[in-house]
Amino acid sequence: MRKAKRLFAVLIAICMMTSIITLVAACDDPDNGHTGTWLPIADYRAYTKADLKSVKDGIGSVSESIDGKITEAYNAGLAAIDAANTVLDVKKAFTDAKTAIAKCIPLANGVKSLTGLNSEGKTDILGSLERYAVNNGITGITLFENGGYTMFSDRITLGTENYILGYGFGVLSEGSITKDLDSESNPAWKRYYHTYEPKNPQTLNYLDGDDSVIGDLYGYIAASYYTTFMNDEKDGYDWVPELAAADPEPVGGLNANGQAKKWRFEIRSGLKYSTLGKHSDTYNGLEVKPEDFLTPYKLMFNQANGLFRGGEAVEQTGAQYIVGSKEYYTATKDAKKGIDDSVDFSKVGVKVYQDPTDSSKWYFEYELGEAVTPYYARYYIASSLYQPIPYSFIEAIGGIDWYLGYNQDKSDTPVDNSLSLGAYVLERWDDGQLVFKKNPNYVYADIKYNIAGVHINILTAASTDRLAGFREFEAGKIDSSGIPQEKVKEFADDPRTRTTMGDFCYKLNVNTLDAETWKYMFGEQGVIKQTPTDQYWQVKPLMSNEHFIKGLSYATNRKEFAESKGYVASTNFFSPNYLSDPELGTSYNSTTQHAKALSDIVNDNTDEYGYSLELARDYFRMALDEVEASGLMKAGTKKNPTVIELTCVFYYASFEESMFKPVKQYWEEAFNHESVSEGRYKLDLKFLAPSNPDLAYDMMMEGQFDIGFGGITGNPMNPLDFISTLSSTPSVAGGWTLNWGLDTADVDSDILVYNGERWSFDALQQATQTTVVVKDGNIDKSIALVEDGGQTVEKTGDDLNVTVVVNYNKDFGVTNVQLADIVLFGGDSKDYTEWSLTGGETPILRATVLDDGKGKLTITLVLPAAEIAKLPEAENKGIDVYVTFTAGGVDVEKLISFYIFDAE
Amino acid sequence: MWKYVLKRILLALLTTFIILSLTFVLIKLLPVKKHMGKPPQRSAYYAEQIRLGYMYSSEVPEEGKSPADIVIFEDGKTVYYYQMPVMKQYVAWIGNILLHWDWGVSKTIEPNVKATVIIGGRLLTSMKINIISVIVSVPIGIALGILAALKKNTMIDHIISTIVMVLISLPGFVLITFLMLLLCYNSSLLPTQWPNPTDPIGQKVLGYIIPVVCLSLGSICGYCRFVRAELCDVLASDYLLLARTKGLTKSQSVMRHALRNAMVPIFPSILAEFIGIMGGSMILEGLYGIPGIGSLFVDAIGTEDYNILFVDMAIFTTIGLFAGVLLDLSYGFIDPRIRMGEKK
Repeated sequence: MRKAKRLFAVLIAICMMTSIITLVAACDDPDNGHTGTWLPIADYRAYTKADLKSVKDGIGSVSESIDGKITEAYNAGLAAIDAANTVLDVKKAFTDAKTAIAKCIPLANGVKSLTGLNSEGKTDILGSLERYAVNNGITGITLFENGGYTMFSDRITLGTENYILGYGFGVLSEGSITKDLDSESNPAWKRYYHTYEPKNPQTLNYLDGDDSVIGDLYGYIAASYYTTFMNDEKDGYDWVPELAAADPEPVGGLNANGQAKKWRFEIRSGLKYSTLGKHSDTYNGLEVKPEDFLTPYKLMFNQANGLFRGGEAVEQTGAQYIVGSKEYYTATKDAKKGIDDSVDFSKVGVKVYQDPTDSSKWYFEYELGEAVTPYYARYYIASSLYQPIPYSFIEAIGGIDWYLGYNQDKSDTPVDNSLSLGAYVLERWDDGQLVFKKNPNYVYADIKYNIAGVHINILTAASTDRLAGFREFEAGKIDSSGIPQEKVKEFADDPRTRTTMGDFCYKLNVNTLDAETWKYMFGEQGVIKQTPTDQYWQVKPLMSNEHFIKGLSYATNRKEFAESKGYVASTNFFSPNYLSDPELGTSYNSTTQHAKALSDIVNDNTDEYGYSLELARDYFRMALDEVEASGLMKAGTKKNPTVIELTCVFYYASFEESMFKPVKQYWEEAFNHESVSEGRYKLDLKFLAPSNPDLAYDMMMEGQFDIGFGGITGNPMNPLDFISTLSSTPSVAGGWTLNWGLDTADVDSDILVYNGERWSFDALQQATQTTVVVKDGNIDKSIALVEDGGQTVEKTGDDLNVTVVVNYNKDFGVTNVQLADIVLFGGDSKDYTEWSLTGGETPILRATVLDDGKGKLTITLVLPAAEIAKLPEAENKGIDVYVTFTAGGVDVEKLISFYIFDAE
Repeated sequence: MWKYVLKRILLALLTTFIILSLTFVLIKLLPVKKHMGKPPQRSAYYAEQIRLGYMYSSEVPEEGKSPADIVIFEDGKTVYYYQMPVMKQYVAWIGNILLHWDWGVSKTIEPNVKATVIIGGRLLTSMKINIISVIVSVPIGIALGILAALKKNTMIDHIISTIVMVLISLPGFVLITFLMLLLCYNSSLLPTQWPNPTDPIGQKVLGYIIPVVCLSLGSICGYCRFVRAELCDVLASDYLLLARTKGLTKSQSVMRHALRNAMVPIFPSILAEFIGIMGGSMILEGLYGIPGIGSLFVDAIGTEDYNILFVDMAIFTTIGLFAGVLLDLSYGFIDPRIRMGEKK
């Protein structure tokens, strides 16, 4: 018994000892829980204070009194951050301080239009918008530009040895060829410039093409009103008239901003068409007639022709819009193909007329949607789409469907169906080759484009094989080729190699939406897209943390990545060809505004491309502290870490090796380092390439991704327009949003200040393109500045006495309301008539105008019965009232239609 | 016999019709590809789809229907684009073919050109290469097969069999790439791409070498193995032993008896190989830039040019099915013991 007791006591003792040892071991086990912060709280405070300073710096100087208030709020914020002892308290102190700073700045209100700003003013706004976007992570993480190395055959003498931004090396226009190409079997083509395309577009019809290759090829045979040539210093380019005889001049003078909407230029005389096809007897050498200048507009704006570029042109906004084109497009829905003269073209803002004092001179006049400076008046109209066409040629080839392409049975080729006014004329079109010959009738044929022709080899293998083009170059079949990454080391220092600048930035787009915002935008009732609940994207809490995104950016060794592939490393949202001042050819990326916008990403603590492993790890620690403090994530153990799996969408499977894996390595090495979270968190990047590349873009546009590779490009002359693609509002971004984060339509999303006022991103960006109504910093489309106030119609004998009322929003600062014009209209697309009061086309409208000064403009007029009887029989009859007014210092014209005869 | 032939031809036509109908319906059941771009570009694209009768638009969402795309314009105007019912599209399509022999025009590959014209222009090139390949591969393949069979288990047989095994294991695109690198780029003996019509005649002839070699090698190996196996069987048969014992020399017994009997299954296989070659030329045409119907098929799928795809599909299906009919009929001509369509 005693033995048993002793044994029991020993057993108890052993159990107790084991428990104690286990307890001690557990306390000592690093895998058992985590307390404290990953970043020391003092460092966390320091980074948060830097963030607050960045907020203040981004605002800049507003006014003396407001600056004082901002400084006060800022200092209070710094003090509160210093006093805070936990991550949550520091974060709260920062948020409170930022809100207090925001409240110091008045919100933008009123009618706003910033289209008249000069280049410096626009660059300031662009800098503010870019900084806002960069700091909120919605520009994505730029990796590289597509610029790199190009090799030229040693028989080519380039126009310049140094690449000119937006122009190139001037190979065709200013270059020359010094010896024959041995591999060319046709003796006549041995001095032609030989290049390649991966695919035969089978048409040159750029009027109906959305393919950039068609545009490039059409450029060989097409001329514009204005073009560019290399300057004498060979470091830039100058604009020169091509089909025009001189620079455009404003019709009716310039406004106070040095701008005008209506312009004209003198048409160059003696222009001749060229063609080598079966219509050459009639059209080769045929002189261009002034009415030919209108033909492309009549063809493109005729909806019945279904021309892609026509549909696109009429939906343009701002200065890119030709006045009246949309109305003509709408009216021609059921018109006949080609040119339908039964539809009135006179209201479209393009016309040609003879100089009343000099019959040898003809003018082309055009009216743009917004007033522009002389530079943009030339730029916006200088498109090869508007090359003149004799309409008889369209009829001769059987109709618009065959213009610049094959006819239906392929008995006519693009050679037969094209006319040239450009530097080259189409000589031959086969499945495997396209050949252009120098056009002797070209305006500058004697002084430019000395190369005798261009031979384009259709190298289909190049569409699947990156090395195919370079192999052709090495075999001496073509005159130039980009150097693929596998060959960069071998050929980078070759004397035939030149460095080019990029026109496209490749980015890693980010989905930084939190779960709530994702649901608001893409959920079942999403404002952008409606997604069934079973297809909801699993939003990762870390992705919506701005410090985590910054950490990813710092962790990306762009220099190493790009150099290994023969590209140019970049942190920029815009490629270098985006110009802040097109007249001077200044790249936006070279401006101080851009440098300031990137100052949080590229600074003294990083390399020249924003790489810093130390900063990356600090920001990762900061991000983890924040998500843990807010309860969104919890650390795992070393053995079983919390895994953050990010889905990275690429459009080709082949990008897994070349693009994805290096990024995966950079980010995982930075994040998964022992010093960041002791191995309790693990970042794991997963590659995904959908079966169709378009699906990758769809996934990005619909928020179904974490990281997405790609990018888009826009008009390099108008970066302020292109930056709209960062908006989260589809109608602003045109559906091109690839990076998702904050709501850019909401002024409270972040602080964005211009001209002493706080704006939403959308409001400020849109104000640079057109006139917008802004209320409390946001665009408000519900506010009408002028509107239909009703109408009365009485008969006096057979005449109609009409009274219409236009209400104007006096409370919103609408003043100086004037009647600009009244147009009596009637008919449908087949039979349409209208008379304008100001056009002096009819004496029938005797209008009197009464402004009560309280927001009501009453217009009375008499419509004689005899004139009304002239209108075609149709339901669509009435008057258009055009009023002009001033709001917020901006002159606005507004049309209000009254369907008088409904009321009759 | 003629009744049987007619029946087989009608069956082939019916099968072609079913295959094409299924292809049309299945392809049209695919989700409509959304157009990428700003609202004006997208609306212009969809306007063309509406004109073709494939879609319709509405400014209000239709109850219970999922739009193919929604375009929101700058002024907030929203347009919903819906696909037309598939069967409506099918009826229009089939009606045009049967009543007007109208297969439609190309949408993207050669815009507005008749699909039949495009295929017609390319069919000749593909057929020329394929027929030359057959002409080259049949005698070489059969000769090597006979040699290997006659020299069975000798060094010659082992060499031939090894080469055949290696070449038959090589994927077509590897062989093409290898030959192009070796003969076109490294030694400059042959053109790097399919010659253009303006190239000299010598260049055009040389241009046939790579495609014909690539298409023929697989067939040569196939024929060689097949002939060797058949001939070895026949050579080991009793009747051939009897022929030798009756006093025929080895060559007489092989030429008069063995080969004739071995050829019964071999000749029909030539047609089957021809169909195989047609399929194999899709990759080759793309890599060597040959403007044929194989690469066109791939392009048509890639660019969703369905009218081209349907005509191309019809050509491949028709050739395949009619080759099958010919194959069956050929048995009767080669082996007099087989009578087509006759009841026992």
